[in-house]
Amino acid sequence: MFQGFPEIKEALMSNRMQAGFMVAPMAIALRAQGVPIKIVYLGHRYGSAVVVQKDGPVKTFEDLRGKTVAIPSRYSDERLILFRAMAKHGMDRGDIRMVEMAPPDVAGALAAKAIDAFSMGEPYPSQAEMSGFGRVLFHAREYWPDYISCVLVVRQDVIDTRPEAVQVLVDGIARSGLWLDNPPRKKERREHAAEFVGRQYFRQDPKLLKWALTNPLDRVMYQPLTPYRGDFELIVSLMRETGILERPIAFEEYIDVRFAEGARTQTEWKYEPGDAF
Amino acid sequence: MRKIAIGVSAWLALVTIAHVSMNVNWAIVLNDRLPLDKRKLNVAYIPVT
Repeated sequence: MFQGFPEIKEALMSNRMQAGFMVAPMAIALRAQGVPIKIVYLGHRYGSAVVVQKDGPVKTFEDLRGKTVAIPSRYSDERLILFRAMAKHGMDRGDIRMVEMAPPDVAGALAAKAIDAFSMGEPYPSQAEMSGFGRVLFHAREYWPDYISCVLVVRQDVIDTRPEAVQVLVDGIARSGLWLDNPPRKKERREHAAEFVGRQYFRQDPKLLKWALTNPLDRVMYQPLTPYRGDFELIVSLMRETGILERPIAFEEYIDVRFAEGARTQTEWKYEPGDAF
Repeated sequence: MRKIAIGVSAWLALVTIAHVSMNVNWAIVLNDRLPLDKRKLNVAYIPVT
């Protein structure tokens, strides 16, 4: 487990990690810079929000003019969503001051009033809401339908030499997504996932993850996780507009869709909350 | 002199054992020694959705 995306980038480049989840623009920028990685699948859809102080002066998006907003990285969709919202409200790019901050630090910074708002993935918006000092100003989907944040990237040498291992990884994520988004059992399964992921992987309070996964149930979605061309071309165009991608890059250059296609016939895990592993 | 050397050696051994047990991820070390096609992939993540 890492605490920030730049560390994941370094671990991938040094081959300490062979795959990783990172924000989509960072993966695209790394590929454009010649780093031998490819996006093979999505981690989730939606699940990012802009959060402000609950009883603070920011009541509408326009109130963010001149304010400081924390983002996880310059190369993040959480930054791009702010630009989309600014464009919609007729604001200039310099109207909001953005500062990069490690995701686990943003809720504390908002509580201490060191920042006026943050744009971040879950469970940090939930953390601010649950703790009583934060209010969701808007969820990413309000300005960006089919919003994507984290994607699964794999080193090119692993794709070339061990495609079957990459397929097993992607199949597992696909099966987990189907399991979590199964309509009749969605709430029960998400609550169960929050328990074991919180304790075994994230080392976070399961109540926090339950909030993020069930309040409401579509706050974060785990289907569809196939990387679609249109979604990524929008990200590339926003990256170009906002000055974080110097050259155009073709979809095929940074995405390998064969693993997502291979996972299309997968079915959900045969497991119910309470079953033994 | 001999007692000091033994004491220093014991202290060194203790610190080394403590360091190795607390800071070395043996699962990764053992995984790295497997043939390439049998190794588990190391997947990086941060605690966000």
